[in-house]
Amino acid sequence: MDYAAYEPGATAVTSALAIKILIAGGFGVGKTTMVGTISEIRPLHTEELLSERGVGVDDVSGVEAKSTTTVALDFGRITIREGLWLYLFGTPGQDRFWFMWDELALGALGAVVLADTRRLQDSFPAVDYFEQRGIPFVVGVNCFDGARRHDPAKVRRALGLTALIPIVLCDVRDRASVRDVLTTLVTYAVEGAGHGMP
Amino acid sequence: MTGQDPGPLIRLYGLTGGRARPQGDSFDLVAIVTTVGGPHTLADLIPEYRAVLSVCRRPTPVADVAAHLRLPLNVTRVILGDLRREGFVTIERPRPVAQTIDEHIYREVLDGLRSL
Repeated sequence: MDYAAYEPGATAVTSALAIKILIAGGFGVGKTTMVGTISEIRPLHTEELLSERGVGVDDVSGVEAKSTTTVALDFGRITIREGLWLYLFGTPGQDRFWFMWDELALGALGAVVLADTRRLQDSFPAVDYFEQRGIPFVVGVNCFDGARRHDPAKVRRALGLTALIPIVLCDVRDRASVRDVLTTLVTYAVEGAGHGMP
Repeated sequence: MTGQDPGPLIRLYGLTGGRARPQGDSFDLVAIVTTVGGPHTLADLIPEYRAVLSVCRRPTPVADVAAHLRLPLNVTRVILGDLRREGFVTIERPRPVAQTIDEHIYREVLDGLRSL
């Protein structure tokens, strides 16, 4: 693609690319913290206003049919170089915003499913979602202060994960730890692509 | 986040005439937006629209346009849809991940992450 340099000093950029990585997991598991720890910009927290058409079938008893609702969306950015960025999107926690996941997941490099060992069941929906769509994901077990450090093998069994899916113990407040989770994901995604995954 | 007073958002949507969805083909949250060269008649544009054209002289992802403008993504996308319809910006079409991320890009991303 050709972008004409129409003003002095404007560089002709042939291809700019922004890559999405999703950060999923249950409410309060540390998604926003993880984005904030690694993002070079303060994570943008936006409240999206959704029309009732977008929300679909929903329990809005007592509310008019033309109702609107808001959904919080956080994202952060890592610049790899001029014209190549990674965007981390914290997925909305509520199940009724699945349709928004579809949009976020389209074209995504992969996902991190954050898990809290005290509430592993909260991670099931995200695991199911990415498995069904063939989106590469890794599981990050957030080791909160005071939380018992779990054996990754137990987490794997509890979540019903195949042996291939990486499980990383992490601290979402620690930059090096978050970086390790992301490099694990990218490595896994490229290997998967090499093996003919979708 | 539901059940809270949506007052400020409602005001924001005044910018878009109450529209929550952009016109025309859909585009991704990280689709690259580029201001199209040439003299525009900008006098009629409101400041938010002009700000987009300024930011997107450098190809910029949709999400970043929203960050610059400090506007919700939905509102930003409506503005971008309007600007595209008027021929002020181009927005890349969504492409499958396999077509956009090749091994070279993966390598660059990995190296970039490791140097953080």
